[in-house]
Amino acid sequence: MSETRGSLAPLLSGLGDPERQRLANGVELVSLPLPEAPLVCIDFWCRAGSSFEQPQEHGLAHFLEHMVFKGSDALAAGEFDRRVEALGGMTNAATGFDDVHFHVLIPPEAAPEALDLLLDLVLRPRLEAEAFAMERQVVLEELAQSEDQPEEVALQRLLAAACPNHPYSLPILGDRESLLHHDPEAMAAFHQRLYRPGGCVLALAGATGDGQLASRAALGPLGALTNGEPTDTIEPPTLQVVPGEQRLALPRLEAARLLMAWAQPPAGNLEALIGSDLATTVLSEGRRSRLVDRLREDLRLVESIDLDLHAMQGGSLALLEAVCEPDDLEAVRRAITEVWQEVMAAPITKEEWERAQRLVANSYRFSLESSAGVAGLIGSNQLWQRQYRLASPLEMLQRWTPETLQHQVLIGFDPALASVLEAVPA
Amino acid sequence: MTIHQRFVLSGGLPVLAQQRPGPALLAARLVLRGGSSADPRHKRGAHQLLAGLMTRGCGSLDAEALADCVEGRGASLRAEASEDALTVGLHCAAEDAEVLLPLLLEMVRRPRLEDDQVDLERQLNLQTLRRQREDPFQLAHDGLRTLLYGDGPYGHDPLGVEAELAALQGPDLQSLITGLGTKGAVLVLCGTVPPDLQALLETPLHNSPWTTALPPTQGDENSQPPSTHYGSIERQEQDTEQLVLMLGTTTLPLGHPDGPALRLLQTHLGAGMSARLFQVMREERGLAYDVGVHMPARSGAAPFVMHLSSSADRAEEATHCLLDEWSRLLEEPLSAAELELAQAKFRGQDAMGRQTCSQIADRLSLVLSHGLAENHVERTLERASGLTPHDLQQAAMRWLRHPSLSLVGPAEGLEPAAAVWGDHRLSQGPPQD
Repeated sequence: MSETRGSLAPLLSGLGDPERQRLANGVELVSLPLPEAPLVCIDFWCRAGSSFEQPQEHGLAHFLEHMVFKGSDALAAGEFDRRVEALGGMTNAATGFDDVHFHVLIPPEAAPEALDLLLDLVLRPRLEAEAFAMERQVVLEELAQSEDQPEEVALQRLLAAACPNHPYSLPILGDRESLLHHDPEAMAAFHQRLYRPGGCVLALAGATGDGQLASRAALGPLGALTNGEPTDTIEPPTLQVVPGEQRLALPRLEAARLLMAWAQPPAGNLEALIGSDLATTVLSEGRRSRLVDRLREDLRLVESIDLDLHAMQGGSLALLEAVCEPDDLEAVRRAITEVWQEVMAAPITKEEWERAQRLVANSYRFSLESSAGVAGLIGSNQLWQRQYRLASPLEMLQRWTPETLQHQVLIGFDPALASVLEAVPA
Repeated sequence: MTIHQRFVLSGGLPVLAQQRPGPALLAARLVLRGGSSADPRHKRGAHQLLAGLMTRGCGSLDAEALADCVEGRGASLRAEASEDALTVGLHCAAEDAEVLLPLLLEMVRRPRLEDDQVDLERQLNLQTLRRQREDPFQLAHDGLRTLLYGDGPYGHDPLGVEAELAALQGPDLQSLITGLGTKGAVLVLCGTVPPDLQALLETPLHNSPWTTALPPTQGDENSQPPSTHYGSIERQEQDTEQLVLMLGTTTLPLGHPDGPALRLLQTHLGAGMSARLFQVMREERGLAYDVGVHMPARSGAAPFVMHLSSSADRAEEATHCLLDEWSRLLEEPLSAAELELAQAKFRGQDAMGRQTCSQIADRLSLVLSHGLAENHVERTLERASGLTPHDLQQAAMRWLRHPSLSLVGPAEGLEPAAAVWGDHRLSQGPPQD
């Protein structure tokens, strides 16, 4: 082990640990200087994902993300994009089950101005009625576009069955009916409830000018953010996956899909999650992984088979997708079961173990090459109070052994524990 | 851009390496001119199949041994055919470069092409081709490609054409290998470059030098006159909620003097949330979620395409709006403010494309493989900053007069959209000068 460890340590050369700062009102700032990076990433994170919608608020977290760009107290609709892009920057946002984030990539000299603009935009949205009605059309188009992809439809059906009564079972985009009923007042209430100290983090990565950017952020609307009890306790409910199976006939599907979902440890349990990462890598990352080697290369039953880990605060999900002929679904399921039985019956070989460790380590460290990758990681870690050093995942990787992985993690990939969906062409 | 090492291998392959601070990793791109557009007659799909086979064994390594070698080091090694090139890409930790880099040359010089692996790769490509039809955007894209390129070199997906791909065999691929590199090739590296790079790369060529050279500057053979083929429409009925619209025409090769003007028009229309199409069609009308402009770099007549998808019940308005936006390029010059914003965004995009070693290696290998100068990107930026609204309108008049329209969606969207197209001046023949 010590040999591998020696070769992994320098992999993070040049990256220090993030600097943290807590403003008087409780908002947290986290930054990591990358003096050589051509662009600064300013990334605002908030515990305001779809999990925190109340029943009548379905789709509101994502709809609000759209509305933020329709202007704020100081910025007219479209002004933010025009100004940031005129400075050579680019902006985007994403809503997840747990959180939402808004980020700007910008040349260092323009970063102070972009920072002011972003914070005003996100913390003081206008939510005007006319813009609200127009943007609702856009969200409805986004929903229609997603529903025209049969693969998306299948995935939503799987989640609905896998974790019923959990917010992760509901589409982040919402549904048509709910979207038609929302109004700006309800959205303002959602914003006020969740965008507040304790639930917000600002992350900065790149040439951040010796902390000047962070100081500047403290003076603006972020430092002025008030109200509220601390929201540190805002957490999505604990996820459980209900084993079961369903079959679905979908129009416009050309090949069958087998989807399977397993519950995995929550994102806050880093060491356990790294175990999941190792397990999914052993099972399905690359041609020499167990599932790809057997089902695609050897038996030639599938066009592809993937097993992806989705880290989430209430509990992570491992999602398997296999693409095959409808007639082969049964054989595919049988082969998956056999692969799992074999991986449990005999020890993982040394080569296989080292391969998985290298793949996991490299994928982590390659993700830290750009300022956006770094800001995303340190921002979400800070938001959910995952207090570990940047190199910690690489060190925790070393604590696992083939035996502990088998007995603590791989055992959980028993197909009998999965929620299963077979989708076939209608 | 500073190139830290440059040399030519025995036989002629040029190598350029850029040392870059940051995480200890290396990105490499070996680009060979001649991709799916060079697929032999009745063998469409051959270059992509060959590219896939390169990752399925080379030299002394069979498919399993090669995968073990690469994946065992946590690296990624891919090969694929695009329209104009065959590209082998490596991404690995710096310490593994010594073992992995020589594989790039082995893959293109000595792929094993074992029958069993040919069968598997062909089957996978056929399945992918079929599954792509689930995506309405892919269908619209395929429809437009047929309208614009017919049976020409850019007329098919690099994956191929089902019936022809199904018949491809090992010997078909073997005969392509001798031609690899004859149209030029280049190897670009970026990141932590290993010491003794030249010796490392010479080893696999030791007994059989590879005769190749930097891809030549393009002659006129790739530059075709602007399309005069107007008024074409392609309709595909699908049971979807949305209608997908793709409006496009054929334009020019990378490096053409009108390139910077068309890039600025693309930026003006489609780059970022301040873009004209985004503002008019999404922000002002709520017609679409996704709207944009596609203009890939090609060595021949690249397509210039506006695309969006909108609910079928708004097909009429969406089609009107899209066609009017296209006409506007021909009929009105950009305002000074619009041009200035487009130029700023164009410079911004350049910085966005220099964030990782892979991006840098991609960009440098792209321009070099088109026979363009290392500083082509800088020159294009310079040229773009000197253009006027009049220049852009003139370029639009030269290249964008005759778009074709590809539609995918339900009948209730197709019919009104086709009617709008039939009545619109863009489908009615050349505008009067």
